Amino acid sequence: MQASRARLFKEYKEVQREKLADPDIQLACDDSNIFKWTALIKGPSETPYEGGVFQLAFAVPEQYPLQPPQVRFLTKIFHPNVHFKTGEICLDILKNAWSPAWTLQSVCRAIIALMAHPEPDSPLNCDSGNLLRSGDIRGFHSMARMYTRLAAMPKKG
Amino acid sequence: MGSDSITCAPAPALPKDLVKKKRTNRLAKLKQSKLDVRREQWLSQVKDKGCKMDSNGRGKSPSSPMQITNERNRSLDNMEMRSRGGENKDLRIHDSDLESLMNSPSGSILDLNDSKNSGSSSSSSYSGSVSEEEIDDDCLDDWEAVADALNANDNQPNSPSDSPAKPDVRVESPGPDLANKNQGDDLLKTEIRIPRSNSNCRAWRPDDTFRPQSLPNLSKQHSFPMTTSDWHCGRGAITWAWQSIIPQPSSCPICYEDLDVTDSSFLPCSCGFRLCLFCHKKILEADGRCPGCRKQYDSENGDVSFTGGVTTIRVAQSCCMNGRS
Repeated sequence: MQASRARLFKEYKEVQREKLADPDIQLACDDSNIFKWTALIKGPSETPYEGGVFQLAFAVPEQYPLQPPQVRFLTKIFHPNVHFKTGEICLDILKNAWSPAWTLQSVCRAIIALMAHPEPDSPLNCDSGNLLRSGDIRGFHSMARMYTRLAAMPKKG
Repeated sequence: MGSDSITCAPAPALPKDLVKKKRTNRLAKLKQSKLDVRREQWLSQVKDKGCKMDSNGRGKSPSSPMQITNERNRSLDNMEMRSRGGENKDLRIHDSDLESLMNSPSGSILDLNDSKNSGSSSSSSYSGSVSEEEIDDDCLDDWEAVADALNANDNQPNSPSDSPAKPDVRVESPGPDLANKNQGDDLLKTEIRIPRSNSNCRAWRPDDTFRPQSLPNLSKQHSFPMTTSDWHCGRGAITWAWQSIIPQPSSCPICYEDLDVTDSSFLPCSCGFRLCLFCHKKILEADGRCPGCRKQYDSENGDVSFTGGVTTIRVAQSCCMNGRS
């Protein structure tokens, strides 16, 4: 408990210090609870998510960093490895491949990488996964693009 | 051995510096020129009867005089034989062996005591002898010069932290050969140093190859990051050992706490991922996988291995030794 708090505090300081180091990630801690974090990540370029800003919610367990943080998308996203309704993310490093050497910042980076390289073989969003697995890249792209515009980009007018 | 001539350069300068310090301490009681002349005279004498002076001088040193004198006498005999034989090359080898011995905890008791004395008392004995022997006496003055030279020599192999400016001297075996080449002063030093090596060289021959591994630990205890890089120059094995240690993080990547001495010599996984002992234990209690490579920690590695099997013991012992001295 105390260890996780100390570690999170140090991560917080690290984030404050390197705020400009990674312009694609904005990581912020809840004002009243250091175990609740939110992050804003930019959709990677040359993907249907480009131009969108996606919000992530981190729930850090007390056993952190021995246990991985629970991360989900608050912004709706059409992606084979993200649950369309709950925003749950299927990512190995958030499950069994977690390593205590990872940080919240590096988790954000991993999620950005996942957005650029979906894994349709372990889908949480079956529709999305099926589109990709059937080779309908264009269909997947337009669906993902549509939802990015709808949910992740500032509304016009 | 080729590098000796370079690395040993600072060695002759040391005793003179120390003497200078003392001079200022003693105010104007002894004028510098006078002292120089005396020292010259005395040094020429020492060439003949230096051994006696040496052992006498040693007897006066503040800590455990018996042991040291014994060792000196014994080794001085050796020295005489050796130096008359003129086997300088042979001696040089022993000398390097000796220094490896200094760094290692498993040296003889004599040696251990000696190194402790010189390490701890090197500074105090200077001031002590100065204040005690304020008497304007030629003999004592001369003896102080001897003591300086002795202490200087003692310092070189034993306590690198005393002289950060010349870290190489210690590792590279301050060469008696160089001293021989140099001025008359150095003859004295050579004579003094040789006995120490002769008295101990045998015990260390076989372990010589392991010596480098114990060096980094010592240096870490003294925490002299500046000197360490110079230390191992020209020693393949040490360089190798250091390369694996130098890039290590200064804080534990898991808890972000600073790594202490024990932690920084703690290498639980072959992938080289370092972490503090606390986190390692916690991970063992949890899933027991290395955070760096996600492989299971070996069960045998569970009982704390420090950068390799053989050195494990060494580290521990050198720690103890250091604590006592």
